[in-house]
Amino acid sequence: MSTSRTEPDAPALLAAVRSGETLAIARAITAIENRTTVGGELGLLVGDLNARCQTLGVTGPPGAGKSSLINALISELLPRHKRIGILTVDPSSPVSGGAVLGDRVRMAAHSANPDVFIRSLATRGYLGGVTRTTRAVIDLLAAGGMDLVIVETVGTGQSEVEVAGLTDVKIVVCAPGLGDEMQAIKAGVLEVADLIVVNKSDLPDADQTSNHLKAMLHHRGHEETRVALKVSTLNRDGLAALAKAIEARFAVSHSSAPHAAPTNDKLRLADDVADLVAAFVRESDDPGIAEIVGQLSDGSVARIDAAKATIRLFAELQRRET
Amino acid sequence: MATQSTAPAPRILLTKSFIDSHDRAIATIALALRDAAMEVVLIDYEQPEDVVTVALQEDVDVIGISFMSGGQVETTEKIVAELVRRNVADLPVVVGGIIRPFDVAPLEAVGVREIFRGGAPLADVVATFGRLSRTYRGLA
Repeated sequence: MSTSRTEPDAPALLAAVRSGETLAIARAITAIENRTTVGGELGLLVGDLNARCQTLGVTGPPGAGKSSLINALISELLPRHKRIGILTVDPSSPVSGGAVLGDRVRMAAHSANPDVFIRSLATRGYLGGVTRTTRAVIDLLAAGGMDLVIVETVGTGQSEVEVAGLTDVKIVVCAPGLGDEMQAIKAGVLEVADLIVVNKSDLPDADQTSNHLKAMLHHRGHEETRVALKVSTLNRDGLAALAKAIEARFAVSHSSAPHAAPTNDKLRLADDVADLVAAFVRESDDPGIAEIVGQLSDGSVARIDAAKATIRLFAELQRRET
Repeated sequence: MATQSTAPAPRILLTKSFIDSHDRAIATIALALRDAAMEVVLIDYEQPEDVVTVALQEDVDVIGISFMSGGQVETTEKIVAELVRRNVADLPVVVGGIIRPFDVAPLEAVGVREIFRGGAPLADVVATFGRLSRTYRGLA
């Protein structure tokens, strides 16, 4: 494994992932993120394994203290779990496409622990794509032996809410001073939360913010079962109570199987097919693809004809393979 | 065909000791690499060996270590030894910051691919990370 970066095929990589090998898990995630053919196939294979893990989504505005809270929560949750996976999603630059992934700076305390696997993902700018990638990566971590996966996102946009929506239990982290009661009753990320956390409770405005949020929950009447909890990562106040509340939520959440949520098989098939064909086109050094791309470049073929010709070529190559 | 590249973003790990608060250089490099379409993972290490655990989990192509005060040679040697121990001896290591003249020979001996001191042109730094990433990924 030392000098070559040539990828093994999807079944071989999956076997290494299932034995819990750190590097295999990491490279499988890279393949899924890069949407290579191996990555696409892995996503489909691993989904069918139905490996079980509990999933916790942590979202909230930038600077609310999500990463620090997760760092503290790992210590609280680790005694009750075999191996914990953490996915931190940070935005890709809309200008260059690059990214600075700094969430795990706050999680340095766990760098040396082999039972904590942390991976930073960039959104890479494709709409909806990050949700699908994250789903596949969660399945992969479950296959690699994680029985809890924590997903951290920046709770600023719809796609981020969707990523958090992949998880069984969702925490929204707020910092003191986020606004008044009017902000708290607006539609948005607070609606998807199972637990609302006011972090930095050592700061003076924490009680006020917590009261606004509690009032919002109160307005919803008796059917509202959610709670707002105050936590200080700095002083380690309220962390044990939060960990307990999370475990209690897991106990009543029925979706700890990755595919327990109802899926539309036809829609999912459409995505599966699109992934495999797209990966083939991106990677292909087939002369047929080169020819079609050349025709597109000099304008001698219509895009619709080029796309259909590509699908026929893909089908032909698949037929020869089997 | 360079404008139609489908190559994935290079992944780079930049790191410095957690007791070293001098992060001007590492932040400057991180932004330059981000602007060159690379994905940069940042950590402050407590033990040099931790850097390798993070590099493996993040599946990075290059490790960049920044130094301000001491430990240039000792830390780098420990990181490289851990890379060897964990079967990723070919993962390239670059160092930067305050690198004293007498550090250079032992750093080169341990296999450091490049040394960047203060004032190194950013374009050179970016080009080096890009080249090492492509080579490691087998794209060059």
